[in-house]
Amino acid sequence: MDADERTYRVDLMTRVEGEGRFLLRVRDGVVERAELSIFEAPRFFEALLRGRSIDEVPDIVARICGICPVAYQMSAVRALEAALGVQPTPEIRRLRRLLYCGEWIESHALHVFLLHAPDFLGYESAVEMAADHRPVVEMGLRMKRAGNALIELLGGRAIHPISVRVGGFSRAPARSALAAHRDALARGLEDALAAVAWAAGLEAPDFEQDYVFVALDADVYPLEEGRGIRISDGTTLPEADFETRFGEVQVPHSNALQCRMLDGRAYLTGPIARLALHAERLHPRAREAWEGTGMSLPVRNPYLSMVVRCVELVHAFAEALDLLDGYRGAEPSAVPWEAADAVGYGATEAPRGLLWHRYAVRADGTVAEAKIVPPTSQNQARIEEDLASIGPELAAMEHGAATRRCEQLVRAYDPCISCATHFLELDLGRE
Amino acid sequence: MAEVFLPREALGELLGALRASGRAVIGPTVRDGAVVYDEVESPRDLPVGWGDEQAPGRYRLRRRGDERAFGYAVGPHSWKRFLFPAREALWRSESADGGVPRIEAASPDASPRAFLGVRACEIAAMDVQDRVFLGGRADPRYATRRAAALVVAVQCTEAGDLCFCASTGTGPRVEGGADLVLTEADDGFLVDARTDAGRAVLGALPVVPAGPERVAAAEAGVRACAAGMGRSMDVRGLPGLLFGNLDHPRWEAVAERCLSCGACTSVCPTCFCSTTETSSTVDGARHEVLRVWDSCFGSEHAQIHGADFRPTIGLRYRQWLTHKLGSWTAQFGVSGCVGCGRCVAWCPAEIDLTEEVAALREGADPPAPVPAAAPPPPAPGGDPLLPHPARVTARRVETPDVVTLTLDAGDLGDVLPGQFLMLGLPGIGEAPISVSGGGGGVVEHTIRDVGAVTRALCALSPGDHLGVRGPFGTAWPLEALRGRPVLAVAGGIGLAPLRGAIRAMLAAPADFPDVRVFYGARTPGDRLFLDELDAWTGRPGATVAVTVDHAPPGWDGHVGVVTRLLRGGAIPAGAAALVCGPETMMRYAVEALRAGGVPEEDIFVSMERNMRCAAGLCGRCQYAHWLVSRDGAVFPFARLREVFGRDGF
Amino acid sequence: MTASEPESGRGRPRLGVFKLASCDGCQLTLLDCEDELLALAGAVEIVHFPEVSSRLAAEGPFDLVLLEGSVSTEEQRELVHAVRARTPRLVAIGACATAGGIQALRNFADHEEYVRAVYARPEYVSTLAAATPASEHVRVDFELRGCPIDRGQLLELLVATLLGRKPQVPDESVCMECKRRGQVCVMVARGEPCLGPVTHAGCGAICPAYARGCYGCFGPKESPNPSALSARLSRDGASDDEIARRFRVFTGWAGPFREESLRRGR
Repeated sequence: MDADERTYRVDLMTRVEGEGRFLLRVRDGVVERAELSIFEAPRFFEALLRGRSIDEVPDIVARICGICPVAYQMSAVRALEAALGVQPTPEIRRLRRLLYCGEWIESHALHVFLLHAPDFLGYESAVEMAADHRPVVEMGLRMKRAGNALIELLGGRAIHPISVRVGGFSRAPARSALAAHRDALARGLEDALAAVAWAAGLEAPDFEQDYVFVALDADVYPLEEGRGIRISDGTTLPEADFETRFGEVQVPHSNALQCRMLDGRAYLTGPIARLALHAERLHPRAREAWEGTGMSLPVRNPYLSMVVRCVELVHAFAEALDLLDGYRGAEPSAVPWEAADAVGYGATEAPRGLLWHRYAVRADGTVAEAKIVPPTSQNQARIEEDLASIGPELAAMEHGAATRRCEQLVRAYDPCISCATHFLELDLGRE
Repeated sequence: MAEVFLPREALGELLGALRASGRAVIGPTVRDGAVVYDEVESPRDLPVGWGDEQAPGRYRLRRRGDERAFGYAVGPHSWKRFLFPAREALWRSESADGGVPRIEAASPDASPRAFLGVRACEIAAMDVQDRVFLGGRADPRYATRRAAALVVAVQCTEAGDLCFCASTGTGPRVEGGADLVLTEADDGFLVDARTDAGRAVLGALPVVPAGPERVAAAEAGVRACAAGMGRSMDVRGLPGLLFGNLDHPRWEAVAERCLSCGACTSVCPTCFCSTTETSSTVDGARHEVLRVWDSCFGSEHAQIHGADFRPTIGLRYRQWLTHKLGSWTAQFGVSGCVGCGRCVAWCPAEIDLTEEVAALREGADPPAPVPAAAPPPPAPGGDPLLPHPARVTARRVETPDVVTLTLDAGDLGDVLPGQFLMLGLPGIGEAPISVSGGGGGVVEHTIRDVGAVTRALCALSPGDHLGVRGPFGTAWPLEALRGRPVLAVAGGIGLAPLRGAIRAMLAAPADFPDVRVFYGARTPGDRLFLDELDAWTGRPGATVAVTVDHAPPGWDGHVGVVTRLLRGGAIPAGAAALVCGPETMMRYAVEALRAGGVPEEDIFVSMERNMRCAAGLCGRCQYAHWLVSRDGAVFPFARLREVFGRDGF
Repeated sequence: MTASEPESGRGRPRLGVFKLASCDGCQLTLLDCEDELLALAGAVEIVHFPEVSSRLAAEGPFDLVLLEGSVSTEEQRELVHAVRARTPRLVAIGACATAGGIQALRNFADHEEYVRAVYARPEYVSTLAAATPASEHVRVDFELRGCPIDRGQLLELLVATLLGRKPQVPDESVCMECKRRGQVCVMVARGEPCLGPVTHAGCGAICPAYARGCYGCFGPKESPNPSALSARLSRDGASDDEIARRFRVFTGWAGPFREESLRRGR
């Protein structure tokens, strides 16, 4: 009698950003392979950044990801400003946080309502889901629009904003222009509160993992800047020391590097990790919403990431409103800087998790070296371990349902595959 | 009325009085490193103490070191922005399934405004645009806004680096066109109220008698300004010079430098070209048509059926300059240049039109004859841009790609053979289509499917509705040809615009004893109006000759181009000719007709150019000295001789 | 491009969205039409759009395909040919699909220099030496420019397709949009280098609106004159290297920009 071999695979992951596949093979209850392959074509950002002008970097790195361009811009300016000793004014820093709130809103609303929710409600797409759950989809779209509108106002356009510069913004908005967004954000806050209750009420599979959580270390809920990187084992390290604890390995089945802790452990970054390490720093409205779910900390079930994202939606809306109300203009909108031979590090919290950049720049104003570690390459190893963990229990399920369960698991990470792929270097000589 | 003096401290009261008269005050203000025009509320908003330095492609504000509020030369904005907005809704339509589309004009903002700080050149520019928008078929939107604007002029006492209004005779003295005229001095303003509206505003101000010294100082300032212009342009005989030098090497030289970006036309206070844009809801039920600033430097400006007949930057620059400084005079009775220098300052490529004109004068060929100025008389009628609903009453398939629609278009008035209507479908677009027949309350249009609009028109069925505007353009001059042999020479779809004329002539054999139809089609299957061609053949005094480019086996008629039919004794003495077809065909037909002894004055051709508004308001149908929609489409060939068949026109 | 009835017969037009090498931002633009998304989803039949739906039918057939990304691997080269065969209307969306995108910078790179860079296990990765636009491989019926495309232009393309009108996507310069907005030219008034005069309109001239020069992400306009712009930048003090770099960013592989950057730089 042959062994009981079950293979679960999806060759083109849908409702994710970018192109990936997964493969889970279980033989006689033992997981043989659990692979998330990213076959998205590499675009070699780190290579093409070399020699570019420092002030082009925020424009170029935005193109790594159409969903979270602000995150790339924010990590880049943090790192470059650290290298050049630039201190943006508090007003500029607040505007950046506001811009980033817009991106969290846009990205989380997209993921929760258009990409992930159909998994929980049994639809192939949000469009099909809208036939039965139109108010929910419309609520998500309304929040998404509010986030995009905020990015458009501060950044000029929702995707690949144009105003983010090293040192600040090319132009800061007028108070009146910002104030015009208040109603939409207030409505968004109400929607987000409703979304938390809605998401908490969805049935999530039982599945708990023991995670190492990694997030930015900060006095406030971490977003556009921090003072280091925090690990749930109790350690905190400066952004510059990231590579002393974390490292990337290349695996044959993927076009993305996997980032692990140097001791080989996989770790988790993103909403669940942020909440685990910073729950007490949530905006009071978000904290209240979280407590209203009755769930306990830390969250160890990846299928609950959607609830956490909704809590972060509340946080982003509430904080955006506070920032908007406190805005008194930001002139000058940028502080001047001079190029130098220097190295700088910067990390921010992209919607999907920690996004770390390192740049070496030259006094002639160009980039000598760039290194970018996106959240999805950090989570990739963790996704594979999760897949391996659910492997044995899938045996009890019908094959299609089991495959969908795997997909749902991968999607819970909101993988941003284009991001994860960007940084491989190219060996043209082998073509 | 004697001029009076308004102390500088009371400038705020002038703004207050203007606002108190119920007007929003639009005036100069500093934004993004330039003096622009926007709503101003108090003197704080004005560019007090600011002057500027300008050079080709360069503009910088500078501190003057005094408190002058109008101590700057014109910036990137002009008043056209407020009278002819860059984007403006023309009309909206809404249709329920299959019903008559409801079309409503978008009403322009008629709220009263005061323009503060209008320079003499800018008043001249308003006059130019008045001629464009109010001269022939008036644009009610422009008319409404113009009537609601009070003009507070400021005479220039210092010339800008790029000013040359003294050359163009449009400044710096403000002659007319203003309600109030200010002349700024260090301690205040000499004020001259020229209209009742101006006097009403002045009445509320704490003015004192000016005294002869102040008046003399102001005069001297204006004279000094005229003498100190940063640029000059010799405008003598420019239309003839330009049209006599269409092959001057300078055109190629400037094409090397020109970016064809359209900045010059956008900042020009007289350029008036526009296009339309439709925005539609996803369900296709509601549409809004907007008028949007356009430029002759764009590719669409000179497109017919997807082909651009002004494809190079050199031809586009030449079109702009020959229009602005040349053919504008024939079209509107005045030059299109008022000497403000904006196109020089704001050209990213640093092109200076005064320098270009000077260069064109170098080694110039003799001037070409140019037609006398013939601005159109005011034309009656409502909004020429608003379509009216019409119903299709019959549809006849002529060939696989040609359909004749009969329309009940309501009260269009007389539609004469040679004229055209704009036929449109909300959400799809409009196309100029000549009438191919009609009478008794209906018009016929014969339409070839060559694009999205004509495809949709051809697909209409009896009972369907569409939008129509018109009739536009000139007619075949049948009255003038009575008693003479008339040749109707048609190529392809060109038979359609001639059909009405042929029918009319055949219906009056006493007036038209000798009518000869020469018709060329691509293939026998492409021949239009087959029944009618047969019927015409049988009429006394009528002959019909048909030829095809490509003949299948079994065709025993003529093969070859239509001009071959004009050989031999085909052209009787004293004949006149009506010609319609593709431009190449018309060129050869005209040659053959001339060779056959028909004078150019008696050859009439129907021209086609890119058409948007068809009312002479959008600048699209430029054809050298003419606007095809207004002065054509039917022209005596003699008028076109200089430019017919030339690249770029 | 004109369309009216779906090729596949009566009914809603069948839409496919495919992706090559890209950031996903252009297809995301469709999801960013928040107000129109559900109406659009009702007006077309989404046949294949992996980012939106797990119901996939890559084989089509389609009435309209939106293609994002540049061709940068052998698989993508095959895919673009396959997709072309499945639709009468192939619309390339965005700078990657119409000009190669930012990743086409590698087309200019010195291969040796790249090879000398440090690779862990290069044998795991296979790509083509150049990232190229769809039009270098197959006939493309229409192109929507931009990095990313403009939401309004995408909606116009879709609505025009549904209604059967020509999409109103002017090929004029960014200057036209900038002037219509009444903005002050950053190059004339501040000496800020700006590619607006040679760049295809569509973004609404947002960079000048935010006080910076255009960086050309919509690629060359119709009849551009990049040399004339270089001459201006050069008079303003820019070095040839800097000029070349400005032309060589998100649409640097587009013919007129590519040629100008090669004239000016390496």
